[in-house]
Amino acid sequence: MTVLFFQISSPVYFLHLCHGRDLRRHQLSVDPPRQVPHPILFPPLPFTPSSQQDCRPATFRPAGHKSRISSTLARESSPAPVQMEAEPTRLLRPDSFGRFGKFGGKYVPETLMHALSELESAFHALAVDEEFQKELSGILRDYVGRESPLYFAERLSEHYRRPNGEGSLVYLKREDLNHTGSHKINNAIGQALLAKRLGKKRIIAETGAGQHGVATATVCARFGLECIVYMGAQDMERQALNVFRMRLLGAEVRPVHSGTATLKDATSEAIRDWVTNVESTHYILGSVAGPHPYPMMVREFHAVIGKETRRQALEKWGGKPDILVACVGGGSNAMGLFHEFVGDEDVRLIGVEAAGFGLDSGKHAATLSKGEVGVLHGAMSYLLQDQDGQIIEPHSISAGLDYPGVGPEHSFLKDIGRAEYHSVTDEEALEAFKRVSRLEGIIPALETSHALAYLEKLCPDLPNGTKVVVNCSGRGDKDVHTAIKHLKV
Amino acid sequence: MTCNVQNYVLLTNKIYTKRTQASNPERSRSLPSASSFRVVCAVEEQTSTSTSIALNRISMPLDMEISEEKKKKKSLGEVGGGKFGRYGGKYVPETLITCLAKLEAEFNLVLHDPDFQAELTMALRDYVGRETPLYFAKRLTNHYKDEYGEGPEIYIKREDLNHGGSHKMNNAIAQAMIAKRMGRTSVMASTGAGQHGVATAAACAKLSLKCTVFMGTTDMEKQSSNVLLMNLLGAEVKPVKGNFKDASSQAIREWVGSLETSYYLTGTVVGPHPCPSMVREFQSVIGKETRTQAMEKWGGKPDVLVACVGSGSNALGFFHEFVEDQDVRLIGVEAAGFGLDSGKHAATLARGEVGVYHGAMSYLLQDSEGQIQRPHSVGVGLEYPGVSPELSFLKDNGRAEFYTATDKEAIEAYERLCRLEGIFPALEAAHAFAYLEKLCPTLPNGTRVVVNCSGRGYKDAARVFDILGHPS
Repeated sequence: MTVLFFQISSPVYFLHLCHGRDLRRHQLSVDPPRQVPHPILFPPLPFTPSSQQDCRPATFRPAGHKSRISSTLARESSPAPVQMEAEPTRLLRPDSFGRFGKFGGKYVPETLMHALSELESAFHALAVDEEFQKELSGILRDYVGRESPLYFAERLSEHYRRPNGEGSLVYLKREDLNHTGSHKINNAIGQALLAKRLGKKRIIAETGAGQHGVATATVCARFGLECIVYMGAQDMERQALNVFRMRLLGAEVRPVHSGTATLKDATSEAIRDWVTNVESTHYILGSVAGPHPYPMMVREFHAVIGKETRRQALEKWGGKPDILVACVGGGSNAMGLFHEFVGDEDVRLIGVEAAGFGLDSGKHAATLSKGEVGVLHGAMSYLLQDQDGQIIEPHSISAGLDYPGVGPEHSFLKDIGRAEYHSVTDEEALEAFKRVSRLEGIIPALETSHALAYLEKLCPDLPNGTKVVVNCSGRGDKDVHTAIKHLKV
Repeated sequence: MTCNVQNYVLLTNKIYTKRTQASNPERSRSLPSASSFRVVCAVEEQTSTSTSIALNRISMPLDMEISEEKKKKKSLGEVGGGKFGRYGGKYVPETLITCLAKLEAEFNLVLHDPDFQAELTMALRDYVGRETPLYFAKRLTNHYKDEYGEGPEIYIKREDLNHGGSHKMNNAIAQAMIAKRMGRTSVMASTGAGQHGVATAAACAKLSLKCTVFMGTTDMEKQSSNVLLMNLLGAEVKPVKGNFKDASSQAIREWVGSLETSYYLTGTVVGPHPCPSMVREFQSVIGKETRTQAMEKWGGKPDVLVACVGSGSNALGFFHEFVEDQDVRLIGVEAAGFGLDSGKHAATLARGEVGVYHGAMSYLLQDSEGQIQRPHSVGVGLEYPGVSPELSFLKDNGRAEFYTATDKEAIEAYERLCRLEGIFPALEAAHAFAYLEKLCPTLPNGTRVVVNCSGRGYKDAARVFDILGHPS
């Protein structure tokens, strides 16, 4: 089992990115659920903030105690196994330890534990804060441009109609119409507002292709917060224009030269910065991955997608969607759409990952299809790792799906069978990109094109009149040059 | 009536043929002889025509009866024949007169057709993403506060959030629906910056219409990403040597050759009647929403409206609703390019003179011999030598004020809006934001200014990067 150590200044703790497989002994017991007041925007949460309950892991050591992470994670006491309830879908999402079944959790050094609990308490407090909710919905409406429409894709539905005239009805949830062109802003706004409430003046983020970096820099400009974005030096060269955009927005873009100088190295550097400056700094994580409370928080900020969809579906056809389809990289847009409907057993949830050059080629990013359980970036989830526990470098034509891990909640939904996960290749995604552009005049992001590509396999066998809602998570203006190169239009 | 028109038309045709033979012997060779004309329903069907002559005004506009309804429009300056005072009109060859009349009839029908309106409203809501928000720009407002903490309140009408990234889609989708309704199978359009081309291509893809977009070769080089977008959306982009004015002439030329099956989708409030009125009506949703939203937000009307002016579609769409409200100031901002005295600008209302261009009478940038001057602006969508006849009218009667902003001021405004609000305005819209620097210090405390952010400028970052030559 190989571990990566990152030396940081005092206190001397090591950030451990553990890629091990055999972590069953790290499972913790599940506490019984506790009720909190029903908030306006967020659903009832199954646990009380940490100020009222000690939800630290059993082997927590007091602050100041020096320790090597590898022993922290090699627990001295063997915890009790997870007690599963009879009906899996009633399981807490997440429980008091931030776990979704066995996935999730808080695999971080002690320095960050306090920051994470503080974040969690603040989040729960704001969930019931009317003023905060009002401010957030005002910004989502006037700045982001919500609510995004639920658009009936007539020509696309016609394309899937069978010769006998029967077929499904395809609807697109238009997250591409949001300010900055994708769903990412929902979470960036929520977290920036949260950081302001916490009195943090400094925001950090990491970015690969630049999309999340630009979204973060955008909200920081809007709120007047100092913004530092970590980006791999190699990525900076390839994405010079996005670097310029972030600088125009007033952010500082710091190059990372260590390792392969790409996203995972930028992530480590960002975490290092956060550990050092945790009092003044908030780390805006872009997806439903990372240590608790991030997966839950990011999901809650994106849950507006699913909530709107429910209301719009009722308005349009007086019922619920039958199937929800979304692309899965880290999993934020999918969780945002699915979350509202997880309790509705009659709604099928389908996540589509990137199969790159094909699942057997070894060059893909289909974590849930081909990955194994391990810990990455603070959470237990499926991840693409080899026999030695080394991260396999993922590949996808779309930068946003190019992530070797996946949100822990997705791992959980897969394991309990509540959601299905499939994958499509680069080529299929490009075809879908072209198809939807030609049929609907909507150019989807290459990430979204993966979800749209899956319709080719899904729609032919659906009963007549099935209502399929696809999350159009982003617009494809940014992907035009890539697509043209491959499609030779 | 028919008899009179017939005579009139035949009479005009003779003059037409004579003049062309005299002035341009080379061109007259391509014109058919009088015997090849067929008169059908009092309008000639010519087998070929040279549009460049056609667009040079030769025939006088037809006088039409002024109905009661149209008399009501006198306050807005609009009377029969699409005239705004002395501006506007239908300075086109006879072949196009029937076509334009049919278009006007169809337009009047759809205005009062509840089914069409319902379908259009749904398309605007679900496809285009309306209504666009009226956003209070807090940090920009603070920027304009003086040392006593006083200053106007700045609101931004977010047309940048539309599908396609600009206000152009409002018009494109409505006209594409009209084209389908009229049974046309293909659509032609001409575009300068490419925004209208992209909007048209998207609307045609959605409505399964064949789409051909004409674009000048110089514009195609500058806006290559828009060309790629149009290709992806299934449109054919035909290059025309020159820039927008050459592209639109070529587009009309080709359209005239297939009047029965194709529809010419105008992008802006210029051209012969009914095009300016039609486009204005479809863009007026911007102003209508602003009125409702202002009422909701502060229980009143805006005090000042500011919009950039190229040919004038976003400005008119914004202003039209408030033209009769005398207490609302209307400010249009044109492109001063390298400066009004440099000769490299696109400030038609500031420096132009009255003439006829593309079928309508209006201000236009022309030299002493009546030759069209080539406009320049960093905001490519503002590079049009003409301007809307209705705006010319509003300028002359003092209802609207027009100022200018240079390239440098526009780029500064672009950077300012990014830094303070996290919004990338299109370089065209940045001209409107640039004018706030001069406007705001003169306004009383609490004045409500609404700026129309007519498009997004995410792509313009590349242009700004090139111009500035370094990351900021």
